[in-house]
Amino acid sequence: MSVLCWGRGAAGLRRALQPCGCPGLLAKEGILGGVCGPRRSSSASPQEQDQDRRKDWGHVELLEVLQARVRQLQAESVSEVVVNRVDVARLPERGSGDGGPQPPRKVQRGATGASPVPRSGWAQRLEKDKRIQRMHMQQLEVNLQMQVQSQSEELKVWPKHLQVEPRLLSKQLAVFLAPESSWEEQLPRVLQEAPRKLRLAVGRAPSTQAQLSGQQQKLLAFFKCCLLTDHLPLAHHLLVTHHSQQRKQKLLTLDMYNTVMLGWARQGAFRELVYVLLMVKDAGLTPDLLSYAAILQCMGRRGQDAGTIERCLKQMSQEGLKLQALFTAVPLSAEEQATVLKAVHKVKPTFSLPPRPPPAVNTSKLLRAVYAKDGPVSYPKLHLPLKTLQSLFEKQLCVELASKVCVVSVEKPALPSKEVTHARKTLQTLRDHWEKALCRVLQETKNHLEVEVHKGRFSLYPFLCLLDEREVVQMLLQVLQALPAQGESFTTLARELSARTFSRHVVQRQRLSGQVQALETYYRKYLHLLASDTKVPNPCLPRQYWEALGAPEALREQPWPLPVQMELGKQLAEMLVQATRMPSSLDNRHGSSRLVPVLYHVYSFRNVQQIGILKPHPAYVQLLETAAEPTLTFEAVDVPMLCPPLPWTSPHTGAFLLSPTKLMRTVEGATQHQELLETCPPTALHGALDALTQLGNCAWRVNGRVLDLVLQLFQAKGCPKLGVPAPASEAPQPAEAHVPQSAAPARKAELRRELARCQKVAREMHSLRAEALYRLSLAQHLRGRVFWLPHNMDFRGRTYPCPPHFNHLGSDVARALLEFAQGRPLGPHGLDWLKIHLVNLTGFKKREPLRKRLAFAEEVMDDILDSADQPMTGRKWWMGAEEPWQTLACCMEVANAVRCSDPAAYVSHLPVHQDGSCNGLQHYAALGRDSVGAASVNLEPSDVPQDVYSGVAAQVEVFRRQDAQRGTRVAQMLEGFITRKVVKQTVMTVVYGVTRYGGRLQIEKRLRELTDFPQEFVWEASHYLVRQVFKSLQEMFSGTRAIQHWLTESARLISHMGSVVEWVTPLGIPIIQPYRLEHKVKQVRGGIQSITYTHNGDISQKPNTRKQKNGFPPNFIHSLDSSHMMLTALHCYRKGLTFVSVHDCYWTHAADVAVMNQVCREQFVRLHSEPILEDLSRFLVSRFCPNPTPRKISQCWEASQLKETLQAVPKPGAFDLERVKHSTYFFS
Amino acid sequence: MWIPVAGLPLQLRLSALAGAGRFCILGSGAAMRKHLPARNRRGLADSSPQLLPEPDFRNPPRKASRSSLDFKRYVTDRRLATTLAQIVCGKPNRPPHLLLECNPGPGILTEALLEAGATVVALESDKTFIPHLESLGKNLDGKLRVIHCDFFRIDPRSGGAIKPPAMSSEGLFKNLGVEEVPWTAGVPLKVFGMFPSRGEKRALWKLAYDLYSCSSIYKFGRIEINMFIGEKEFQKLMADPRNRGLYYVLSVVWQVACEIKVLHMEPWSSFDVYTRSGRLENTKRKEVLELLQQNLYLIQMTPRRNLFANSLTPMNYNIFFHLLKHCFGKRSATVIDHLRSLTPLDAADILMQIGKKEDEKVVNMYPEDFKRLFETIESSEDCTYKWLYDDTLEDV
Repeated sequence: MSVLCWGRGAAGLRRALQPCGCPGLLAKEGILGGVCGPRRSSSASPQEQDQDRRKDWGHVELLEVLQARVRQLQAESVSEVVVNRVDVARLPERGSGDGGPQPPRKVQRGATGASPVPRSGWAQRLEKDKRIQRMHMQQLEVNLQMQVQSQSEELKVWPKHLQVEPRLLSKQLAVFLAPESSWEEQLPRVLQEAPRKLRLAVGRAPSTQAQLSGQQQKLLAFFKCCLLTDHLPLAHHLLVTHHSQQRKQKLLTLDMYNTVMLGWARQGAFRELVYVLLMVKDAGLTPDLLSYAAILQCMGRRGQDAGTIERCLKQMSQEGLKLQALFTAVPLSAEEQATVLKAVHKVKPTFSLPPRPPPAVNTSKLLRAVYAKDGPVSYPKLHLPLKTLQSLFEKQLCVELASKVCVVSVEKPALPSKEVTHARKTLQTLRDHWEKALCRVLQETKNHLEVEVHKGRFSLYPFLCLLDEREVVQMLLQVLQALPAQGESFTTLARELSARTFSRHVVQRQRLSGQVQALETYYRKYLHLLASDTKVPNPCLPRQYWEALGAPEALREQPWPLPVQMELGKQLAEMLVQATRMPSSLDNRHGSSRLVPVLYHVYSFRNVQQIGILKPHPAYVQLLETAAEPTLTFEAVDVPMLCPPLPWTSPHTGAFLLSPTKLMRTVEGATQHQELLETCPPTALHGALDALTQLGNCAWRVNGRVLDLVLQLFQAKGCPKLGVPAPASEAPQPAEAHVPQSAAPARKAELRRELARCQKVAREMHSLRAEALYRLSLAQHLRGRVFWLPHNMDFRGRTYPCPPHFNHLGSDVARALLEFAQGRPLGPHGLDWLKIHLVNLTGFKKREPLRKRLAFAEEVMDDILDSADQPMTGRKWWMGAEEPWQTLACCMEVANAVRCSDPAAYVSHLPVHQDGSCNGLQHYAALGRDSVGAASVNLEPSDVPQDVYSGVAAQVEVFRRQDAQRGTRVAQMLEGFITRKVVKQTVMTVVYGVTRYGGRLQIEKRLRELTDFPQEFVWEASHYLVRQVFKSLQEMFSGTRAIQHWLTESARLISHMGSVVEWVTPLGIPIIQPYRLEHKVKQVRGGIQSITYTHNGDISQKPNTRKQKNGFPPNFIHSLDSSHMMLTALHCYRKGLTFVSVHDCYWTHAADVAVMNQVCREQFVRLHSEPILEDLSRFLVSRFCPNPTPRKISQCWEASQLKETLQAVPKPGAFDLERVKHSTYFFS
Repeated sequence: MWIPVAGLPLQLRLSALAGAGRFCILGSGAAMRKHLPARNRRGLADSSPQLLPEPDFRNPPRKASRSSLDFKRYVTDRRLATTLAQIVCGKPNRPPHLLLECNPGPGILTEALLEAGATVVALESDKTFIPHLESLGKNLDGKLRVIHCDFFRIDPRSGGAIKPPAMSSEGLFKNLGVEEVPWTAGVPLKVFGMFPSRGEKRALWKLAYDLYSCSSIYKFGRIEINMFIGEKEFQKLMADPRNRGLYYVLSVVWQVACEIKVLHMEPWSSFDVYTRSGRLENTKRKEVLELLQQNLYLIQMTPRRNLFANSLTPMNYNIFFHLLKHCFGKRSATVIDHLRSLTPLDAADILMQIGKKEDEKVVNMYPEDFKRLFETIESSEDCTYKWLYDDTLEDV
């Protein structure tokens, strides 16, 4: 009993220690709680006589007190306490059981009991504190005795214990709470009880996360998070408090009960498990597979006798649940599965796990050749030996474990002046202060949030416990450092913070659960497939190899629901605002000045919107600028990888080693894509998985010579003409910096406008400069190394490299900085391809045949060599090119090759590009088999490249002449103005769904650029022209327009039926158009500001018809071009080529261009030989035509109209697709 | 107010005579589409179809008006016109100002003004009125000039090409021979007109930006504006802490900038209301009926001579605007809370300087208090960083 008292007293102490809000009140409350605790607890529930349990709970509470105090002491002396930390949330082990796999612990456990507290400095202080507190309490006890009665209401605010025992609504069930026999005996009986109330199944069975309300999502995430952070009693408490209130009980779903049950099962805590089960029954729910998995696991841990288990299994089969499914449909870790199996074996010793299905192979017709076992295969190997690759893996692992990368900035280093050193020193001092302050605020917040949970409310407490406090603080400081001078919108910042927390948490969890070691083992084996000096018996694709290694699929961490993300981010941002302060004048060295916040929450007014922005103090910005710190910090996922990425094996595993990466990038919070990918048969994704793996496996290196030149320009004053942005200091300055106070208001107004203009330019320059700085710093960081760019795709299957700042998708400069790390000898034709590539890059000979381009290259060889030798001092021929930096890189490569004694043996690293000419129209023309259109986009073999823009311009000119003869004034005005340039943009974008309105604006822009065109006619002329362009396209691509129209119309009708458009690409990737009516959620209230965000993931929202219909044609074409690219990639891989792509621009080594070209054409023909539109029509009919037909007449009519439209596939023309194979300029 | 329409151009007269059920043929709006066609068809069947006004297809309206409440109001009562002319022209012994009349419409008031001896420039946005207006000034040797121009679209803030009836003030005033005068000099010219029935607020904001930045028409000096304004907006404009329910940003902006005098009050019903199709006679629409029961206020807004005398200048007026928007964004809060997001200076100290208590609420601050607050911060000496504001916070 002494322990119990102790616990109470200490509980009071703890509350008194709560360092938040108004301390006086809290202290009083706490002590009151301590004083009249016994009375209350005895009145709470008669079951509390259970001595044993009481002790436990008092115990827990005591531990909590100790922890609170430890935290406080920690804040005072951080270093001292790290070794011994009282870990509390865990209940003392009870019963036998092997303890099971305790979820990972962050720190070594110190004392689990109260007595063996080590006698270190803080412990002594703790002891002393306790003594004093007890004395105070005794005194107060006397004083307060009188008031207690009157204030008893107040106590309700403060529930004393974490609740364990549920309050059940059903009397019958409540009998089970006072068992005559052991808890183990109870279990099967409880299971046999029928659910109490019959609830409407509709309201209670949300199948997906997206269908839960925001509050429910938050609760579920809370329970899951408690399991991760060892706060199971808290989770149980919240579950019980919610269950005991009718209104709140409605929020609870079976998933939530199951989660808590699983937690108890892992600990082998039988009584609590039964409690949860009772609540499940009480709530009128029927246990499902997950519940049984938890129950069996618990029994497995406790070594339960066979009889009970048998009754459970019997009950299970009575409810129609299959034993096999326990092991296939329920996500369990290997250890958990073993425990469940142990329990099952007691009853059915012969039961064996369902056999692992043999690796399925994709059977799609298009991919058959890729996965064929026979036939010639020569998968490429990397050029690096196993040893090197393994050490690279170590490096990448270190980077990802640290979650961040520090990179030296390439900005010209500031001279080490007195000013700079002073600024750096000031900054360092400030950061030290902030670190301490943040630590303190974080602890305060955590304490406060914990209290919230005790009061039975949802709070972010477990989420804040996921990461080590120091890590959180470091993360916040890092964000503060990177905050732009003009501030960042609060919502964006909140998202960023929660995303970073999540990814750090995932990394940490893998580290603690031993997954990293497993990864290391398997990855080392995997490298045998790729390394240059190893051989594997059966060469296969990386994914197949990885799967064959039998790596267990890591349990995936679900991203948190959006409401939790926003709330957590907001909480973190608020802590940052609250904790960081600085002296009002930084120059003042005496330090006596007032402290002001570093971050300010200001509002920006855009039309009617009011946007909250966090803005740093201008003095702080100035300080950062003066200090000019030489390092930049990147998140690990923003930097290219140092070892080959993990092969993609499922929609959520692949790319980075530890950091979570999604296969399909989507807008924040949209879960529909991920769900679609998860539910489709795994083999359907193989094409995409393998293509992405292959793109990511290409090794890169930095082109050092080009980087030197770019850096030289960058550190001087930049050169905007060549795409090297100038520093903001080069921005135009207002003519007059200051006007006298006495100047006329009008003069001042003028100056202000000029000033604003200059500032705007400066800001734009600054952001361009920052972008270049990141890119170049990363390039410099990676110089001399080999690196990889992991890929993923967007929702249409287009592929993108994951690292955002430095990749091959970027501008001319970015592309010129990259080359293949692996070289290939040029071979007989490689040099010619290099030269042609060079001419292509200049853009000088776009409409000449290849041999003329080659001849031109010979002609200007002098200039090429000059450019290569003295790029900055010579004739600077390369600067006139369309893509100057890539041209320069190519000039250097050509120069090296021609100077080589045997050019054919020259090892080239430069990627050579082959571009689709108006790729969207190529796909349309092939779909519709348009003869004229096909010829104009080079599907038809021809001696010279065809130019569709000129073709359209010519057609427009024909129409114009006719109109002019008829006397149309505009047509006459436009004589001589219709050029390729005027129509180009419109033609290009027509494929991507540009409307007449948008087209007119584009043409208007072009016409305005023409100086000699009478400007007053621009509107009329553009209006006229856009009609003619559309008409011409209609004439040339008749099939195209029909298909476009058919797609648009189908999407419109589908959308009208209330569905969003879905389809499957020829490779099997399921696609869904995410456009829905925006649904504004005002979610997070209170605090600095309330956050409103639009939620796109909500699948209950109606589709946005306009976007659905305008988006379908271009998205569908994109899904085709991505299919073509993936097919080409896979076949090139089979042939041993290095292949990467920028959408419709394919890259490979000069020596392999011919092979790639052949593959590319063959695959295009293969792709379009499939009945693509018929397949689409069939799919859409089966997906969207309701069967049976709906009851309402109006719907009936709509449905029949939809079916009719969907089945009316446009008829193709007469173009012979096979001819593409012989077209030189199809991709060139 | 039914007056003979002898001088009106054909199109308008026809529509004005067309009778019941004829309003709002062109003034279609989303809200009207559902029930109006039926009415129209019935209306057409009743009256003679050939009386339909011929819509002008040569110059189709670029943007269809958003709402059927987009009316134009014109003074058509001669007695009212005379009264107004007297009010606006002031005492007869003073040398008359140049007077810009916005959207005179049928020109009844124009005539009255001319009779009172004023020199009038009629800025008419509706082309149909122009020939008639021009005919008014035939024998007056230059006392009346008519220009196709929409006063509220002078120097549009959106930028881009300016096409009539939008105009640039530079061109317009040069054309009229108006010279720039210093701010502290007298009033160079007067404007008379009515705020557009929809978008009074927008017009007020545009004028306010022009005024504080000394651009557009205010580049030429302290131009006095006499405008009819709707009752609601009038009350809001004149509101202060004594009337805090209506107190908002524009009240402060305008009361700080101008001396505002109420010259006259007139019920809506004294005016002729024209929709795009012509004169509005009787209606059953609730919104319109409600409007008709309200009053219109003629207010005179003369920019203060000392507006820029202290540290509030056209250089920093946008910070002042931001301060106001910020404060009224959460008007029930205390000023000190807002100050903490506006300036890194010591908020309590500043409040003390302007003699306000720390718990002063936003709605308790008079317009001049806001100005003083701003000027105190702006002219505080010991600090380099007075504001957290920068241009990125505003989209104008």
